[in-house]
Formats: sequence, C-alpha cells, structure tokens
Amino acid sequence: MKLNLKSFWLKIGLLTALLAAGSVRALALDGAVVIVNPSVTADSLSADELKNIYTARTRYWDDGRAIIIVVLPDKTDAALQQASGMDGSQFKTFWQRLAFSGRGSEPEKADDAAALVAFVAATKGAIALVPADAVLTGVKKIEIK
Amino acid sequence: MKKNLVRRSLLLASSVVLTVGRLEAVDLHVFGTNMPPLDFHGFISQGFLATTKYNYLGSDTKDGSFQFTEAGLNASMNPFPRTRITAQGFLYDMGDAGEYTPFLDFASIEYTFNDYIGLRGGRIRRPQGIYNDIQDVDLARTYVLLPQGVYESRFRDFSTSLDGGEVFGNIPLSRAGALSYEAYAGYISVGSDSGVADDINNSLHGGNVTSFDPMPAAGSQLWWNTPVDGLRFGAAFLYVFNFDYNFTVPTGFPPPYPSSVRLRADGRITSQLYSAEYLWNNWTFQAEYYNDQFSQDTTSPAGTTHSFSYPQAWYGGAAYRFNKWLEVGGYYTEFYEDAPVTAASDASQKDAALSFRFDPKPWWVIKLEGHYIRGTGLLDDNANNPVRSDDGWFMILVKTTVSF
Repeated sequence: MKLNLKSFWLKIGLLTALLAAGSVRALALDGAVVIVNPSVTADSLSADELKNIYTARTRYWDDGRAIIIVVLPDKTDAALQQASGMDGSQFKTFWQRLAFSGRGSEPEKADDAAALVAFVAATKGAIALVPADAVLTGVKKIEIK
Repeated sequence: MKKNLVRRSLLLASSVVLTVGRLEAVDLHVFGTNMPPLDFHGFISQGFLATTKYNYLGSDTKDGSFQFTEAGLNASMNPFPRTRITAQGFLYDMGDAGEYTPFLDFASIEYTFNDYIGLRGGRIRRPQGIYNDIQDVDLARTYVLLPQGVYESRFRDFSTSLDGGEVFGNIPLSRAGALSYEAYAGYISVGSDSGVADDINNSLHGGNVTSFDPMPAAGSQLWWNTPVDGLRFGAAFLYVFNFDYNFTVPTGFPPPYPSSVRLRADGRITSQLYSAEYLWNNWTFQAEYYNDQFSQDTTSPAGTTHSFSYPQAWYGGAAYRFNKWLEVGGYYTEFYEDAPVTAASDASQKDAALSFRFDPKPWWVIKLEGHYIRGTGLLDDNANNPVRSDDGWFMILVKTTVSF
C-alpha cells in the first residue's frame, strides 16, 4: 500500500476547491445577538473575526485581555453553529480538547438568558450569543458585519 | 490490595461528583479579589473491557478487566495581558502501565503576541493528529478506544507530553481559509515502568529495560482550515533524535550469552501523521494515515547490530449525533508492523469498531463499544498470549466519565 502523496494532496485540493466554490461566507445569527462586556472596545466584528473567537484562533482582545466565551446550552445552538461552524456537541468537544491538552479554557456556561447577561455584564472580556428577545442590561451589543 | 484501595477511592470520588449533580467549572479568586480567577476542570473515567480470545492492552481481558482508569484535574489563569498559565495532574491505569500513580501531566506558561504567533514553555502536551494530545481524555471523543495502530494507549508516557517549548499561531489565507501551526522541541521522559518499556521487555524473553535516557525530540503540527466550514487537513511530523535505553537480557538470549548481561540500544524515530476531518451538520468524518521509521543500533559484548522497522496504520471513521444524549460512530482501521506490508496475522491487525455514546447529563458520559478484530499484530503481550491463530476475535468495552 504505497501512498502517492503528491497525487493525494492534488485530489484533496481539487475537492476542497469544489466544495469552497459552493460556500459563501455570510453570517446570519438565527434568533440571537452578540453581546460583550462594556470593557470591550470593539463595536462590531466581522463574521470571520467572530468565527476566529469561537474557534480559539483569536483568544485576546486588542488590549490584551483574555476573551471569555459564555454559552447558553440548547438555547442558542443554531446561532452557535452559524458563528463557529460546529453544532453544540461539537463545540463542547472542541473546547474540552483544548482545556484538557493545556491549550485553552472551556467556555463558561449559563442556565438562562438572564444569568448569561448578568455574567457578561460582570466579567471583563466576556462575549456571548444571547436570544434576541433577552433583556440586555449592563452589556454592549455587537454588530456583526 | 493497593490497587483495590485506589480503585475504591476513585469510585468514591466518582460517586461524590455524581452526587453533586450538575457541577460546572469552579472559579476561585485567589489572594483576594484583585487577582484573576483560577479556572478548574477535571474528569474521572472508569472502563471495563473483555475479549473473546486474547489478553489485550496488558490486562487479563479474557476474564474481563477494570484496569482502564483515567483521571485529570487542571487549573488555568490569565495573570497578565496575553499571558496564560495552566497545569494538569493526571493518573491512569492500563494493564501494567500507569498503576494509578499521580504525575504532572502538563504545566506551562504561554504568551500570545497576536493571532499569528505565540510561545508556550514548560511541560506541554504534544500535538500530533486529531487525538494525540487528548488520547486519554475519554469525554472529548466518540470512541472508547482510538485506533491503536495510530494512538497506542500503552505508549502514552512516550507520546503525550514533552518538556520544552513550542511556537504556535494562526495565519489567515484570505479566501483559502487559514493555516494553524505548532512547532515544538524538547525532551521526552519515559520511565522503566512505562508501557513502552513493557513493549520492549516483551521481546527480551525475561530481560528488561533498566533505564531510558531523556529523549531530545522536535516536531510540528500543521492544520489547513479550509474555507469550507468544518473541513480541515493536517500533517504532523516528529523526529526523536535519541531513543536510547539500557537493558538486560537473560542467560541464553540470542546470540547465546553465558550469563545475564547489560546492553544498550541507540535509536532514532521519524514519524508522520496525515489527517482529514470534516464536521458537517450532525456528522463527523475522520481519516488518518500514520507511519514511522525506527532505526536502532544495539551494543553488546558481541558487537553492534542494526535494526530497522517501518510500522504503518490508517483508519477512517464517521459519527452521527442523533440528539444531545446519543451519538453513534464507527471506524475501520488497519495496522502493519513493518513494511513492505505483509498479511501475516501476527504482524498486522484489522479492527472494525462500533460505538454508542450516551450523554445523560452534560457532566456524565457512558459509552458502549464493540470491536471485531483480525490479526494479533498489536497484542505484544507474548507471555499472556502464548497461542495465536488467524481467526477473528471480539472485544467489548464499557466506559463512563464524569467531569466538571
């Protein structure tokens, strides 16, 4: 079983190009908005910047403060999938892998929207997806471009 | 006796966590409220495995074995901007390896300059493929047992951690996606009571490894995160400059020594692992191909002999999550002890696995898994498997994990 690596990677590249041709990176968060702690200076994020945060490629805000993701399990899964490219289970596993290999910290969890908003309001550097109809007090809503 | 005590303690700890119910990560503010919070996470896993024909993974699995335990507790904090400190204690038991002895699994400090580059130093978990750095973290995957030709459970002492440093980062490639990289160098430390030592001892007919030298090593892991959501390809490389150890052999070991003697082996290992993973809706597709080249010179009173081996393995698998409490997955894997590939059943192993993962609570995982295996190339344990045949054999595993 001799593997021809050159041919293998060529086929992989062609396959990916075909798949990518059909994908357009546009972000619509179903029934959710993005909120951050008021200490975060950014007023907007691009779809790619949001994805980089939710996939651990960006882990600090511009001022060097650690980004703390807060999740609301089962309530914002559709928006989470749109933001991260992973469903709720895959997202959880992804961050567990980082935490137990020393490469990151698991997102914080909230039981309901009110608790989530309160946690984000009280935690510098926090970011979260919250149901669009949640009462937003003490947090800043972020526009996704 | 000692093992029973430890096992009871582990089960008690497990019960406590279960009793606590939904226990989330614990944040502790140390030294008053001005210090950043300390974030704790942990888990404990207990498994059972039974086989129909052979004793596998160093345990008496023909009678069923509970020697399948892992537990980890980690803490992390961000004391300064762009700086993170983390450490994890770990213990495990897998056949003759581990023996519930706690050890420092990783302890590192990292500084992230920006998205493109960061530095991490200390004891780090070595990235290699999809699973190497979390190969003993049961809750972070679908399967109980990973494909053993690629992720040999008994070799975790050698494969998971390294004392040294690494550079890491993420490079955007515009419409082509992004490239994530980690490049590391340092020393791998392995003890004479490790699974690697057991594997070598297996070929010494009563002799045993007395010590390993610290092993200087360097490697890298590259991931191309394609513009297609969830699709990524990886390539990992490792070079172990010196895989050196001292060992003894008994009287009569070929070439026949008149008495027990001390010998030394100087080896070098080069390995590659190529990966593909696609997360698509509720599906997870994975495939990996691994090979290494192991070159060794053995010095004895009779002179120096040279040996070379070229193991290969691959697997392909898929998992589907039906809902938040059920995921079903399976994989097929082949392992060949040496190239050119031969079909000899004692030098190869083919394994088809089907796994059910239940998540009754966010902090509790239960898994049930069945394997049909042909070949005995990964058994190794000659003393407990004196007779082998070409027939297939079955293995069943049950494992539960609680975490916070």
